[in-house]
Amino acid sequence: MIFEIAIKMKKGFSNPHSAHLAGDIEGIGVKGIKSAEYMPVYRIDSDITKKQAEIIALELLSDKITEEFSIASYNSLSDKKIEKGSIEVWFKSGVTDTVSESVVKAIKDLGIENEVTVKTGHKYTFKGEIDDKKLTKIATGLLANTLIQEYKIK
Amino acid sequence: MNPNVNIVEIISLNDNQLVELSKKNTLSLSLVEMKEVQKYFKVAKRNPTDVELETIAQTWSEHCKHKTLTGNIEYIEETSKGRKVKKYSNLLKETIFKATVELDKKWCISVFKDNAGVIDFDSKNGVAFKVETHNHPSALEPYGGSATGIGGVIRDILGVGLGAKPLANTDVFCFGLPDTKYSEVPEGMHHPKRIAKGVVSGVRDYGNRMGIPTVNGAVFFDKGYMANPLVYCGTMGIIPKNKAFKEVKSGDLVLVVGGRTGRDGIHGATFSSVELDKESDVSAVQIGNPIVEKKVLDTMLKARDLNLYRAVTDCGAGGLSSAVGELGEKTGVAVELAKVPLKYKGLSPWEIWISEAQERMVFAVQPKNKNKILKLFKQENVEATFIGKFTNDNKLTLTYNGKKVADMGMEFLHDGVPKPTRPAVWKETKQLKQKPVKASEKVLADDISKVLADINVCSRDWIIRQYDHEVQGQTVVKPLLGNSIHNFGPSDAAVIWPYAVVKNTKKAVVLSNGLNPEYGKIDTYKMTTSAIEESVRNAVCVGANPEMLSVLDNFCWGNPNKPEILGSLVRAAQACYDMSKGFEIPFISGKDSLYNEYTIDGRTYSIPPALLISAMGVIEDVNKTITMNFKSAGNYIYLVGLTKNELGGSVYAKIKGLKGIVPDVDIKVSRKLMKAMYNAISSGFVEACHDCSEGGFAAAVSEMAFAGELGANINADLIKTDSQMTLAEKLFSESNTRFIVEVNAENKEKFEKTIKGFVFEQIGTVEKEQNLVIESKKSKISIKTKIKDLQKSWQRQLLE
Repeated sequence: MIFEIAIKMKKGFSNPHSAHLAGDIEGIGVKGIKSAEYMPVYRIDSDITKKQAEIIALELLSDKITEEFSIASYNSLSDKKIEKGSIEVWFKSGVTDTVSESVVKAIKDLGIENEVTVKTGHKYTFKGEIDDKKLTKIATGLLANTLIQEYKIK
Repeated sequence: MNPNVNIVEIISLNDNQLVELSKKNTLSLSLVEMKEVQKYFKVAKRNPTDVELETIAQTWSEHCKHKTLTGNIEYIEETSKGRKVKKYSNLLKETIFKATVELDKKWCISVFKDNAGVIDFDSKNGVAFKVETHNHPSALEPYGGSATGIGGVIRDILGVGLGAKPLANTDVFCFGLPDTKYSEVPEGMHHPKRIAKGVVSGVRDYGNRMGIPTVNGAVFFDKGYMANPLVYCGTMGIIPKNKAFKEVKSGDLVLVVGGRTGRDGIHGATFSSVELDKESDVSAVQIGNPIVEKKVLDTMLKARDLNLYRAVTDCGAGGLSSAVGELGEKTGVAVELAKVPLKYKGLSPWEIWISEAQERMVFAVQPKNKNKILKLFKQENVEATFIGKFTNDNKLTLTYNGKKVADMGMEFLHDGVPKPTRPAVWKETKQLKQKPVKASEKVLADDISKVLADINVCSRDWIIRQYDHEVQGQTVVKPLLGNSIHNFGPSDAAVIWPYAVVKNTKKAVVLSNGLNPEYGKIDTYKMTTSAIEESVRNAVCVGANPEMLSVLDNFCWGNPNKPEILGSLVRAAQACYDMSKGFEIPFISGKDSLYNEYTIDGRTYSIPPALLISAMGVIEDVNKTITMNFKSAGNYIYLVGLTKNELGGSVYAKIKGLKGIVPDVDIKVSRKLMKAMYNAISSGFVEACHDCSEGGFAAAVSEMAFAGELGANINADLIKTDSQMTLAEKLFSESNTRFIVEVNAENKEKFEKTIKGFVFEQIGTVEKEQNLVIESKKSKISIKTKIKDLQKSWQRQLLE
């Protein structure tokens, strides 16, 4: 099973990653984006249970006080649908993903012995006047380095 | 032979085919070099394996061998005095290194031969310093490129002698202009702002996570660096003197420690010698993991103190091929490549051998310590694997699963590279004084603000504050100085008091730098003398003894195959020699990065030449260091040093579109004045001291005022000049060898006595009322600006 855990800042807490995004987007000449939000995403491919995925999200990947998480699960990545008005950025395969290496180790430290592979990604959602052309420009001009990362827009 | 290894046909190739082969495999070898390789294998009566060919390419790369600086150069100088021809057979040895040899300072412990330069700290310890560049990787992947840049230079410090403990990092960048239009950025390149932000966060994340403070740096913006940013990273560390040298003996084992090997950064060393283009090799990108390196650092220093190894070096450019090759240069070495721990399956033997995967160190371990050292690394969760043995046959022997994949003589590998001869040309261009610059009261007031807000003068706090510059708790003079989080100015230099490593010490280490590519656009000789003078001046400003300073050179230049570009490099190297000898300040280490060019759509973008000089020295008594912010109202303000009509390459000239003469250095006067200033500061006669550089007197005095939340009254008619100068020229000239000094009434006489015989004048006073008042009765001008307004100009938006 593939679990995708997205970490979101709780209401009332400011997210420094998100705070600068709208300005940066305007900086590259894309107009009409009112707000943008950033979420780190962890893709865990393993035979762990949903319950175990929740433990990982709660105990390892999120801060209980300031953050909340959501978990999506798929049998295969082709089942996945990307949220409208969003950009996802992932490392290309073969590129060293140091955060995922740490996550794999930390999952073991939580006492979960199942074989896991982890990929780390970044999800951005936008509000305002959005179209594919703008999203592509934001993705290539600001969020993804296509040399080492791939991006998906919707 | 082995199924994972290919034999490369070379013996039968003609010249064109040799060139083609070099290009196709990103070997970056010239025809002459390829022919030398061909000759070697003709004698051996066989074709090389891909492992052998790649090893030669790495070992002979510009990055590892510095072929240009150590090659033959025919230099032609055309001046008004006529034509002069000079031949160099090794520019580095005949200029920079020569000065160090001739100066023969007893306190130099290890210079130009190890991963870093080492000088005396006290009777038991040395202090090591190294600065590296990581330009090409940072252009492609700014975050990963700069992170691995700082990670790499930290490993240089770990790999000097038997390993030094890193105490501080420095970072200097040259970027394109942040307000560049998007349409002007060449396709496939990142916008300068994106590069700048990525680079800053890379250094931040790696340095902070390693627990090493980033304490000194500089940032220079120019449109010439749009497609090719410069990223200089430095690290300073402390090493016990009895651990300052390494020695490999036949029979020692080869141990690789730290990160696993993957396909990262394949061809980094050869890649740094090629011009960037749209299809630049993607695998040249490296990704850093500071957590792994931090574990290596902590554990290897333990192993060092237990004497568990005889030599160590870091895996940098060229990966294992360079690191193992260097250690085994005098003995010979045999390595089993299948033993190297991999990140994932599927790497060919040649990829394992030259991969530039990060966070790896190579050790030479006596067989008796084999188990002890493995146990120590295992206890700390650091991967360590024996992969081979140093032999006594002077050969490089590589096997993969027991089968031979490379077998070459060390002598051919390390000394076989043919020396190219390159032509270099320099034609003198006359620098003339600009027409007298006249400006009204209002315009001048406005100009001061403009200069402070200039991209190359304004506050770098947005960058500096992202770095931890306090971790380890030894940073005494910090990068930003002043009265509060809101009121600060730029420090001239950083001072580290390593009391946690060297118990009960009063001594400290000073770090500073000098860089001004703007001068280099006009005159690389003066750029060099100015950069060296600035680095020394900066160190003296905080209380360093100029007689205890050493410097590092880092050349970033364009394509040396172009005679004018190489000519400007020769001039700079010659200036290094003249300054080093004249000042008696030795160079202890250095590095060059050439081919900083970028071709797209047939147009070549070449960078303005940039020489970074990084100074390091030992301060006898940390209690005698001082800072740059004004301290008390009523104190006297002195301008020490002569102001000359030197606006060439200045910030003011850039803003106003002026030409002019580039600041020169009078070596004899400067050296003596530096010493006198040091005497005054170390005697406790000086409250604050700041150097006049970018932006001239006006910028420097403003910075001292708003950092101290105090005002200043200046009588500009008292500024001593060498010729008739207008007020604007006096305020904004960037003449070297000048200090602004704050002295209290009690010390006035003593201070003046100490610097007697030099040009100086008390030109004003520190005031409680927070205004900068500059008066000139001669020009009938009185400028009065609020300190808060000047501060606001200086604290403009940078990259945010």
